[in-house]
Amino acid sequence: MTTDEFGDRRDIPGMIDAWDRVTGAVPFTINQEIPGMLHAKLVRSLSAHARIAAIRVDRARRVPGVVTVLTGAQLAARRDISPYFGPFLRDQPILAENKVRFVGEPVVAVAAETIESAEEAANLVEVEYEDLPAVFDPVAAFEEGSPILHEEPPKMSSLFVDVTMRNRVGTNVANVYSIRKGDIEKGFAEADHIFEDVFSSPAVQHVPLETHVCVASVARGSITVWASTQTPHVVRAQLAEIFGLPLSSVRVIVSTLGGGYGAKTYPKIEPVTAVLALVAQRPVRLHLTREEEFVTVTKHAATVRMKTGLRRDGTITARQSTAYFNTGAYADVGPRVIVWGGFGQGGPYRIPNLFVDTYSMYTNTPPAGAFRGFGINQTAWAHEVHIDMIAERLGMDPLELRMKNVLEEGEAFATGDPVENWHSKELLQSVAENIGWTYPVAPHRNGSRIRAKGLSVSASRAIPLAVSTAAVKMNIDGSVNVLSSSVEMGQGIQTALALLAAEALTVAPSQVHVSEVDTDVTPYDQQSSASRGTYSMGAAVQAAADEVKGQLLQLASEELEVSPADLEVVAGHVRVKGSPDRCLSFSEIVRKSRSGNLMGQGRYRAGGALDPDTGLSLGPGPGHWHQAAGAAEVEVDIETGHVDVLRFNAAVFAGRVINRVQAELQTEGNVAFGVSQALFEEMVFDHGQLQNTNLGDYMISSIKDMPQQLNVTLLEYPERSEIHGVGETALPSIMPAIANAIYNATGVRVTDLPVTPEKVLRGLRLNGNGAS
Amino acid sequence: MFHRFRVVRPDSVGEAVALLREHGDGAKVVAGSTAMTIMLRQGLLTPTILVSIAGLEALRTIRLRNDALEIGALATHRDVELSAVVRENAPLLSEAFAKVANVRVRNAATVGGVLAEADYASDPPAALLALDAEILVEGSTRRSVPIAEFFVGFYETVLEPHEIITGVRVPLTAHRGYAYEKFVTRSSEDRPCIAVAALVEVDAHGDCVDARIAVGGATETPLRLPEVEATLRDRPIDLAAAAVIGQAYADAAKPLSDMRGSSWYRREMITVWARRSLVVAAAMAVSRGGRQ
Repeated sequence: MTTDEFGDRRDIPGMIDAWDRVTGAVPFTINQEIPGMLHAKLVRSLSAHARIAAIRVDRARRVPGVVTVLTGAQLAARRDISPYFGPFLRDQPILAENKVRFVGEPVVAVAAETIESAEEAANLVEVEYEDLPAVFDPVAAFEEGSPILHEEPPKMSSLFVDVTMRNRVGTNVANVYSIRKGDIEKGFAEADHIFEDVFSSPAVQHVPLETHVCVASVARGSITVWASTQTPHVVRAQLAEIFGLPLSSVRVIVSTLGGGYGAKTYPKIEPVTAVLALVAQRPVRLHLTREEEFVTVTKHAATVRMKTGLRRDGTITARQSTAYFNTGAYADVGPRVIVWGGFGQGGPYRIPNLFVDTYSMYTNTPPAGAFRGFGINQTAWAHEVHIDMIAERLGMDPLELRMKNVLEEGEAFATGDPVENWHSKELLQSVAENIGWTYPVAPHRNGSRIRAKGLSVSASRAIPLAVSTAAVKMNIDGSVNVLSSSVEMGQGIQTALALLAAEALTVAPSQVHVSEVDTDVTPYDQQSSASRGTYSMGAAVQAAADEVKGQLLQLASEELEVSPADLEVVAGHVRVKGSPDRCLSFSEIVRKSRSGNLMGQGRYRAGGALDPDTGLSLGPGPGHWHQAAGAAEVEVDIETGHVDVLRFNAAVFAGRVINRVQAELQTEGNVAFGVSQALFEEMVFDHGQLQNTNLGDYMISSIKDMPQQLNVTLLEYPERSEIHGVGETALPSIMPAIANAIYNATGVRVTDLPVTPEKVLRGLRLNGNGAS
Repeated sequence: MFHRFRVVRPDSVGEAVALLREHGDGAKVVAGSTAMTIMLRQGLLTPTILVSIAGLEALRTIRLRNDALEIGALATHRDVELSAVVRENAPLLSEAFAKVANVRVRNAATVGGVLAEADYASDPPAALLALDAEILVEGSTRRSVPIAEFFVGFYETVLEPHEIITGVRVPLTAHRGYAYEKFVTRSSEDRPCIAVAALVEVDAHGDCVDARIAVGGATETPLRLPEVEATLRDRPIDLAAAAVIGQAYADAAKPLSDMRGSSWYRREMITVWARRSLVVAAAMAVSRGGRQ
């Protein structure tokens, strides 16, 4: 079968690379091989917290085929590298130096001719540990007398300007973010009721189908890495710091990722692969097993204590809230996650007096990093269950309580900046109508099964101070190349950018090719995360395309001897207004002007800096408020506590939809994540040792776990022509909507995720319900 | 990740047994390799030689012989699920095998494999226990082991290291009511937190002639209590009678704790699911008309 039978494959609705995906032709990084490449294997810590007393590598070195066996001490002794990394705090050793801080931490790296030799050698490395007291819970890690993970002050990284570091050296506090808005004492004094509840959520896995993989090559003072990363320019900058090289000497090449969800943001395995390549003087490949992936990065476990004051009529007057985010043994992006986790405690609500402290806590568990929903999952879980609990105590409809308190256009967000294009009320109304919300809740009982509904609403602030740049080239035949460092990871960014460039230049999408990432060639982009690709890189591509359009008009005006103001661009041509015969195709313009090609560049810069002391916005916000509402209908078997999610309505504000299929699928994907995080996903640790290290023991939702009926609403105001990212917008609202529905069915309030059948049954028994 | 080993593919069961004898503990039998791959990856097994019997097609047959269903050890879960002979003669088995994991796993995992692995959280053992199946084994001699004696404990069977399962023999039963209730607490593709297989035969009055209840997934080895089953005879199986049985099984069980549920929770679930399974099977038996 040829593509001709289908016409042009790019005209297939949905994704531009759909054909390649279906035929298995997408070149993933796991397929990257280069001649002479060695294979790497890591020896990982068996202890949660220990001094390394001795490492014996002699037997490993003697394994045939082994080229390099590398320890942290050897790295520390080298003068040509600085062996620590981390996007905010450079606290993570490439290989553990004097001590280990979590079970699974890389201690020794082996490179060999074959993966079998590397594995055999890794098995022969002997490490002696002298165990130290360890701490696993973020609240315990905050207490006086807790074991301390990092005694020495770490080097700071200067990569990001959006987060102020307030790490406390000599404690386990990797960062603090506080909000001091209004007068908290006055706010509580004005309240008729004050309610306080505690909520927690566990570490979970991202589970991209493709685990982390990296191929590195070091030659003649330059480094090339092929990496499965969502942040190619951050990886480049950190490798440059490690090796003391200019950015121009570090090249990061990124193919389509087999999923990311935040797991592939910031350096993970690239530093160790690159130093192995340096020491071995051969290219090296490292590809993590699923078991290794599980201890490489997780979602932050978090505990939130939330106290809210309200007037008798349900108006919120004040909230004081403290959250402890478990960032694991190394900070990774934890110092930024807690900023979202901080303002996330205000939620989408109007809270005039807000007092928030959020801590990024070191513990002896695997590093936690970015996870789809970025700090909002943990806090929406708190504020959305909390508000349902409050509604019940006040005898109010939880929908009405939310409607009364959600922000409206122009009002101040938790960070103080006025919200724009704000639609919480519309979104809530939409899901409530779709699910058929009624109050009082009317659970429907059929034998041992009870059905009921639940609601939630959530919001997040876009990433501030981020920059995207893009270049657009128009070739001599009028076709277009877009150069961008946005990473395609299944979210469909290449399709979105192609559609936007095609639209701006009035050419067919099939005439546009969007590059993959190569930092030698593609311009700077901060990162492919935070649901920012389509709106920020999209804006940069549109600006670059506009620049090309300007050049086309200028060149055509010279050729046609007409003022540019009298020209118009229509369907791949520039023509004289009112005289459609006087017209040049783009190809003719490039050819006749002997331009070779036309090139335009574009840039998008977000605002939104926050004051380090008050946590409040210093100027214009970053725009693009991510807003969602969710409504679930569940059926609970009260004899077993088992929950079926029968229906889910997810509504997100999408502004202007670029590709409807993809935008809907992104939201459906969020529901797939949310259902299993609501009901069963949890990384289980025993003294720091992960107990469910594979996808048999750690389950994620299958297609059969999805709601029988799933409605996605993309709220649009296309006339404003504003694009909103939807990659993670819906997720934070899903878990609380399901839990609230379970409560409405059973009267069982579970405040610690996941809401397992066993927790529900225990609750039923405590309430004197359920059989026997 | 993988320990080094050699894979050999004998042409007959005899040859396979000889290889097992020769290599002792260093050899392991493999067929569908759904369980073996996981154990090798986790380093739980470190064989030097894997004896792959996957090519012994003769062991894949499913047939009726002498009032029994004979299922070859290499029949896959999917083979059993889709077999018309099984559906006709032991629909409980079709049901139980159909509920294992997902179609990809069922297309690889074999009947012999799931028995030899003796994972407490597998579906087929409880169904086969309810059916009084016999495990056909070949080693120094051929023997058949009643399934009630086959499982000894956690991942442990009566198999000698050199013995291979060649099939199972499932005596035909007259029971017209059956149920296989699988209960999962996580993904729908999970192994059972608990599963209950039930078979019921009634007489023309609707009174119980024979009832069998086997609980899987909850205890080290699947649980059947013939003395409790016997109390159902000669009376109708109503909700109250079924509940008593559920309670009796729960009282007798020593449930495990794992990530699918605590021991407390499993005991509760035995009460519920033994009752429910029995009620479903009894209703089916009654609706299909009793023994004359």
